Amino acid sequence: MSTTPWGAGAALSVLGRGARDSVAVAVAYLPFGLALGATLGSSHLPALLAWSTSPLLVGGAAQLLAVQLLSAGASGVVVVLAALIVNARMLLYGAALAPHAAAWSARWRWLGAYLLADPVYALAAARFSMPDGGGSARHRLLYYLGVGVALWTAWLAMTGAGVLLAGVLPTSLHLELAAPLTFLLLLLPTLTHRASYGAAVTGGIVAVAASGLPLGLGLLVGAGAGIAVGTILTGRHG
Amino acid sequence: MGELLTLVVIGVGTYAMRAAFLVTARRQPPALVARLLPHIGPAVLAAITLPALIAPRGSISIADTVPALLAAATAAVAWRRIGSLPVALFGGMALWWLASWALSTL
Repeated sequence: MSTTPWGAGAALSVLGRGARDSVAVAVAYLPFGLALGATLGSSHLPALLAWSTSPLLVGGAAQLLAVQLLSAGASGVVVVLAALIVNARMLLYGAALAPHAAAWSARWRWLGAYLLADPVYALAAARFSMPDGGGSARHRLLYYLGVGVALWTAWLAMTGAGVLLAGVLPTSLHLELAAPLTFLLLLLPTLTHRASYGAAVTGGIVAVAASGLPLGLGLLVGAGAGIAVGTILTGRHG
Repeated sequence: MGELLTLVVIGVGTYAMRAAFLVTARRQPPALVARLLPHIGPAVLAAITLPALIAPRGSISIADTVPALLAAATAAVAWRRIGSLPVALFGGMALWWLASWALSTL
């Protein structure tokens, strides 16, 4: 661990950068969060129970799947299995961020794990892959926690507002595309070289081809194929 | 209550997956793993995005897929040119709304 003193000015600038990045992502997430909240609120489950998936699961895709399956009367085992498969990407996100988090104390890594979600991974991965590696370990932690707490709060608030607006949001708003567009905008900054394009194109196409698989397994099959192709392309380069 | 228990089990399981590698983090992962890591983001995010994009209402159809792809292209171009996530998102949404409205009035 570096012994440089905690520079208050630098720390503030890291926090400011995290806040700016979080606000942009939170605003972009607003249609998705509201639409998801409205879907949760109009399920057959009690509204508060449906919304409790926001702090429990912290991930729109699994929340939607779990509440829809429970609402349709699926068995608990099937619901747990399906939601965990959809969320298995968090294993991969954790693995990808781990080398950057190795110098953080265990306490912060346990907290950081709870805050790990798609946009938090996307912002942190982009920052930590900058030439300076996102600064010292402390600055990386500060950025990660700032972004994580801000987006966690925003997610709970947005989905909560969506639940309250469930009967009010007109269906003519057509928010169906909000989720895929949001994820597209998380994807674009990760496309930095040929291998990453190969990983993304393969991952997307294989996931489409495998989208008939049960329990959302298509996502994992696509992700696995994409990671393999990206790795092979990198190997050829270097 | 069974439903809450189911959700709590998913929450605990998801937390365990989030924590698994982060908490046991090592500065120098094994060489093979280190080569895989950079490709996780693009592969996973594309595997989420593309199926949802080409079938925004659950199935592939001209009426849904074409406006969705146009909206995605608009969002991507807006992001590359302007660099703002909100502008790109709402630009794409605006095109989707416009195309959906146009198709519904035809």
